[in-house]
Amino acid sequence: MANVRLTSIQKSFAKTAVLHSISLDIASGEFISLLGASGCGKTTLLRIVAGLESVTAGAVEIDGRDVTGLPPEKRDIAMMFQSYALLPHLSVAENVRFPLRMRGIGNREEQAERVKAALETVQLGHLSERKPRQLSGGQQQRVALARAIVSKPKVLLLDEPLSNLDARLREDMQVELIEIHQRLGLTTIFVTHDQEEALSLSDRIVLLNAGRVEQEGTPAQIYSQPATGFASNFIGSANLLPAEIFEGPDGPVARFADGQALALARTETARGAVTVALRQEDLSLSAEGNGPRAKVRTRVFLGARNRYVMSLAGQPLRALTANDLDFADGQEVSLAIDPARVRIIRD
Amino acid sequence: MNDRMENLLLALPGLLLLVLAFFLPIGQMLVLSVTGPEGPLAPFVRFLSDPYYLGILWRTVRLSLLITLICGAIGFPLAYIMTKVGPRLRLWLVVMVILPLMTSVVVRTFGWMVLLSRSGLIPEMLRDMGLVGRNFALMQTETAIVIGMVQVLLPFMALSILGVLTRIDGRLEEAARTMGCSFLQTIRTVVLPLALPGIVAGSLLCFTLSASAFITPNLLGGTRIQVLAASIYKSVTATPDWPFAAAQAVILFAGIALVLVPYIKMTGARNG
Repeated sequence: MANVRLTSIQKSFAKTAVLHSISLDIASGEFISLLGASGCGKTTLLRIVAGLESVTAGAVEIDGRDVTGLPPEKRDIAMMFQSYALLPHLSVAENVRFPLRMRGIGNREEQAERVKAALETVQLGHLSERKPRQLSGGQQQRVALARAIVSKPKVLLLDEPLSNLDARLREDMQVELIEIHQRLGLTTIFVTHDQEEALSLSDRIVLLNAGRVEQEGTPAQIYSQPATGFASNFIGSANLLPAEIFEGPDGPVARFADGQALALARTETARGAVTVALRQEDLSLSAEGNGPRAKVRTRVFLGARNRYVMSLAGQPLRALTANDLDFADGQEVSLAIDPARVRIIRD
Repeated sequence: MNDRMENLLLALPGLLLLVLAFFLPIGQMLVLSVTGPEGPLAPFVRFLSDPYYLGILWRTVRLSLLITLICGAIGFPLAYIMTKVGPRLRLWLVVMVILPLMTSVVVRTFGWMVLLSRSGLIPEMLRDMGLVGRNFALMQTETAIVIGMVQVLLPFMALSILGVLTRIDGRLEEAARTMGCSFLQTIRTVVLPLALPGIVAGSLLCFTLSASAFITPNLLGGTRIQVLAASIYKSVTATPDWPFAAAQAVILFAGIALVLVPYIKMTGARNG
């Protein structure tokens, strides 16, 4: 267990800058997610912490020690790869023992004990003699996790470990990750492009965009107070609509390009041209109402819910609703939203 | 006509060629070795009881093993580097490795004769540097045979290993590094075991080709240092003692087959 400190990390491949001066303090035992679309540099940042990638400028500190120039094997970390990277010529037990053997931790009996304990943590004790290729994807995943935690590394690095699993297994693994983190308290850096994963697992989320930190905060903060248009679009895929804020008779109002107005919270101080972020799940639709009116383009049936794609002032607008609401294509519906849940992003 | 017959018919020309051009002569050779005028097993007895011929057999095996070992020691790092460099550089390295195969063995061996001869570049240089005495010679030594054969056989080893190495997931090496392996430990615990099928295939090629090589050992080793293939040639052309030549060929064949068995078993066990 250790803290990790990144100081103005810069990274360029050839002449293309991938990371622009990223600084990050990760507390001991914290579960932090690096969230972003593919190509935002999140995996590169993780590989820099692992030592698999060198930095162009900046410093990496683990447990108060500068490790910037150290190769991966001297950093006391463990990394779990998206492709699991199990060694195909070794059995499950040998794979899990590998880091202990290579780091010279304990004698044979102690190693066997720890391997057994780690495999039982991921409920795979009975498969220890199998070869990786004889396991299903989910089982390989668990072996990789056991192998990552067996040496009790200072930092646990997870590179999109759940993205190759089907939805059901992914949910199970999320629960498992949370429990293991609570039990072992390992400092964990988790890279993902899946906002739900980041929201459900982390103590803190770092939202990356084009090699820069877009926003940083607890899942609740990131979700409820996205600081930028990118953040609100990425988290919860909110609708972003350009609007202008005026002082109305009952407090501030946002007026869209087609002249329709949306009432805002009285405490809103912004005026002039802004972007209004409306979360899909916060919008409610009704046939009769006095909110702004939008025209239904399509309905997507999602099982538990419906997603309506509408257009408002020439912009696409999406809303998640209960599955019993039924509107026809081309019908005009009225929008309603709790003013407190409207986010205003100043341009 | 069913599928089986059709397949058989399609395979027929190839099978015929194999029988006529391969099995027939080998069979004839086998027959020849046991039908000499001195009795069926006499040539074998003569070979196996004569220290001179046993020496030739031992030299053939020893040099082949040494050549295979050196090819592996050079070929593996070379192939590994080829997988790590960019595609352009890799192409050039492959061309460089294959290029020697595009000239005849005889021409290449003459090249070595020029370089290794008493007044050739390499002995001269070594003498000038004071590393060796005045009487130092490379030609007509086992060293010359090894040097020449390694150059001939290196492509087979390097390309066999390259084929396997390119299919190893690079993440495995990275994973090993994050688990505490140094670079060399990664090579030993991850890359080498996974490259084993390629190393085995390359070694088989190198060993069988060098055990049966005739031109290069003959030209670089001279008449004093004979290998089995050269001895067979001599038996046929100089004496000419066909049954004895055939017996030596059978021994060479059996010797190579004997080495192949554990290799095949090893790879079979890994794949099965």
